[in-house]
Amino acid sequence: MTKPLLQIDDVHVHYGRLAAVRGVSMRVDPGEIVCVVGPNGAGKSTTLLATVGVLSATRGAISIGGFPIAGMAPEKVAQLGISMVPEGRHIFGTLTVEENLRIGTYQRPDQRNVERELKRILDEFPVLAERRGTNAGLLSGGEQQQLAIGRALLTGAKILLVDEPSLGLAPMMIERVYDILTGLRDSRGITLLIVEESAERALDVADRIYVMRRGLVELAGTSSELEDGARLQQAYFGFEGEAEGIR
Amino acid sequence: MMTDRFSIAKCLARNASPLVLCGAVALIVIGTALANDAALDRTVTEALVRIVYVVGLYIFVGNSGVISFGHTAFMAIGAYTTAWQDCCSTTKSLFMPALPNVLLQANVPPPLATIVSGVVASIFAGVVGLAIVRLSGIGASIATFAVLAIVNVTFSNWDSVTAGTSTLVGIPNYTDHWIALLWAVIAIFAAHFYQTSRFGLSLRVSREDEVAAKASGVSIFRQRLIAFVISAFFVGVSGALYAHFLGTISVDAFYIDISLLTLAMLVVGGMNSLSGAVVGVAAISLLIEVLRQSEHGFALGSLTVSAPRGTQEIGLGVAMLVMLIFRRNGIAGNQEIGERLSRFLAPQLQRSSKLTEDF
Amino acid sequence: MIAALQILVDAISLGSLYALATLGVGLVFGVLRLTNFAYGDFITVASYALIVPTAGATEIVIGRWPWPFLVTAAVGVVVIVSMTSEYLVFRPLRTAKPAVLMIGSFALGYIIQNIIILVYDGRPKAVGLWPDLGEAIVLSGLRVPKLELLTIVVTLVLVGALVLFLKVSPFGVQMRAASEDFRMARMLGVRANTVIGTALAISGFLAAVVSLLFLAQVGVMSFNMGVPLMLFAFVATVIGGMGSLTGALIGGYILGFASILLQALLPEDLRTFRDAFVFAVVIVILVVRPQGLLMPRAARERV
Repeated sequence: MTKPLLQIDDVHVHYGRLAAVRGVSMRVDPGEIVCVVGPNGAGKSTTLLATVGVLSATRGAISIGGFPIAGMAPEKVAQLGISMVPEGRHIFGTLTVEENLRIGTYQRPDQRNVERELKRILDEFPVLAERRGTNAGLLSGGEQQQLAIGRALLTGAKILLVDEPSLGLAPMMIERVYDILTGLRDSRGITLLIVEESAERALDVADRIYVMRRGLVELAGTSSELEDGARLQQAYFGFEGEAEGIR
Repeated sequence: MMTDRFSIAKCLARNASPLVLCGAVALIVIGTALANDAALDRTVTEALVRIVYVVGLYIFVGNSGVISFGHTAFMAIGAYTTAWQDCCSTTKSLFMPALPNVLLQANVPPPLATIVSGVVASIFAGVVGLAIVRLSGIGASIATFAVLAIVNVTFSNWDSVTAGTSTLVGIPNYTDHWIALLWAVIAIFAAHFYQTSRFGLSLRVSREDEVAAKASGVSIFRQRLIAFVISAFFVGVSGALYAHFLGTISVDAFYIDISLLTLAMLVVGGMNSLSGAVVGVAAISLLIEVLRQSEHGFALGSLTVSAPRGTQEIGLGVAMLVMLIFRRNGIAGNQEIGERLSRFLAPQLQRSSKLTEDF
Repeated sequence: MIAALQILVDAISLGSLYALATLGVGLVFGVLRLTNFAYGDFITVASYALIVPTAGATEIVIGRWPWPFLVTAAVGVVVIVSMTSEYLVFRPLRTAKPAVLMIGSFALGYIIQNIIILVYDGRPKAVGLWPDLGEAIVLSGLRVPKLELLTIVVTLVLVGALVLFLKVSPFGVQMRAASEDFRMARMLGVRANTVIGTALAISGFLAAVVSLLFLAQVGVMSFNMGVPLMLFAFVATVIGGMGSLTGALIGGYILGFASILLQALLPEDLRTFRDAFVFAVVIVILVVRPQGLLMPRAARERV
């Protein structure tokens, strides 16, 4: 069994006295695409935020390649090859596209690689190259999503945590974004942990899926195991409905 | 018979906090009266006046979550309104020549003057509040400070009506420890009834989450304005009481120093509870006394050892910072004394005696 | 005509002074979301650094040094005070709500002010700093005090340097990103403490410059000399839009112009109330256009 790139063990996260994540364990192996699905308030974003250090886990262990990172400040976690693209993208609207891309590069120990990688990103995302000097706030939703992904990659990340990449995007843009993400895995070997609201899309794209509800992992399995949808629906909603279902 | 006793117990439990607070304060006052020490008497009376102020401040700040740096403006208005009503009948026209004849002739009995001062302060707050109270967060705090600055500049320069930066003397010494105690008790009970009322509770909800409150139909603007006006009444009264306590007032007394002092009292005691407001006044008053004594010095053998001048103020600031850093919710935390006692003495009444939700 | 030009120069000079102070306030607000109520006292400290407390007359020590050393020393002292404040007060309160930070800075300012009183005593002190700057240059009928000219030039240079720093240097870009979205910047590796430290250091630098220019103008230092400057800086920040550095700059100049104009235009008996008018304007702006006069409406925080 390969050593997991990312391991989350029995993590609990509290907002004051409210437990948003109540003992979640996940693993992501190198080169995998893993999706986390579940209803609103399940604690999916919270888990990701705790992983990169923005929130503190009140209990549990998180490690990258075996190296423990729970409790580390987010800027330190960013040096370890893991980067998060948060929900809503959070582009720096008053900075140009290029400045946005470069933000993650200043603290990299391997400065000599920066220009080369920047060029590579601009080649892969021609839209960004075109609008290099424009203020990022003027980009469309889909373009901003590409910028957010490119920006995260430029921190030197080997694993990307992406929170709801489809939020607020038109269906065609969503296709494009997912093409990019799967392309990153295929051509570069980037590992992906994606929070996705649509279980259908997750089943299309992911190698493995975790279903979270109310702060816990209700179900885990490969996409082929979960394909029939019934178990997925049960875990997602907490009951088996008569309606069409997820597929 | 059983039900009578039970409902009395319930009533006591529901009003436990103000009863305990007023009881404790009253005991201190009785002790002071018996002790017959003039200096102690002055200190306690001044502290009681501060309780009226800080409880008034709490009614707004504690329930709305908006930090006001400007409440001292209401104190100034209360103090000067009192002076206009009952100060120095012989010299009034000398100090404040531009006052309308009605006021120049007036010699309102102090108790009435005090109430009127409170009302005037709340009217002012009502007008100002119409603009300010719709603001949130930092904007609101800056705006309240701006109000204080405006009042300070206006009073300092409007010599014909306020005697400007000179000190106004001749205000009758109406405030003794009993009067101050009476007003402190009134303020504490008013704050309690307000915060357990529909109005206070609606406002408290908005303190934690404005959006949720609005979505639940709370008119934040109206509730804040109500709290602002009630709060200004008591702060205005404290100004009147203060004027009647010192016998003299000047504009400078109502600016940064008192603002920081009262804010420190609220912060150290605990911004979110009535008990916090009262405890804060007690704690800070005690601290100041200790520091003041240390500045005067105490004898060590043949030497007098004393802390340098300014220790009081620095000590006050440090106490405030320490509280903010280590125990943000102050001495009282988020709790009321009543809750703690109820839980301790009568656990079977616990459900009905929950006065404030721990947010 | 000459009179109008004279007023114009006065306004630009005063505006420059306010602009520097406002930038100092705005930088810290952008990165820390802190309305630094201690800023006025940072300004005061710079001037007091020039003298040494003695029993008798004021002992001007650093104040006698040649200007490069004098300025460096004053700046150094304020930056140290700034950094100490960061370690002792602002960092422990990092996770607190903005209102709590504000109260904390209020307490901090109070403490600094009283330490000054403790060390130096509460009486104002006359200190003639660079008295030759009081001379005026005469340009075809226009008398411009050298100090006003210096203020304008210094401001232009410092603002230019600041803009260059923010636009071009990696530090500057990181600071701008952190001002916009602190959490996101950290997620991309931007070091929180470094950015905050830099902002406070620059802010301290500006405070020192403002202090010295102000002292040279009024010739007297007192324990609360920085407070009015700080209050006007707050006003200018509100005018220009909180969180925007361009806004801070422009706000400072608008305030300078408004002050001079009000002074010139108000009827005699209302002139002393000028400050009251200025603060009233703040309230109006906060209510009617909280994002300031310059920022687009979209800059408001969304739910």
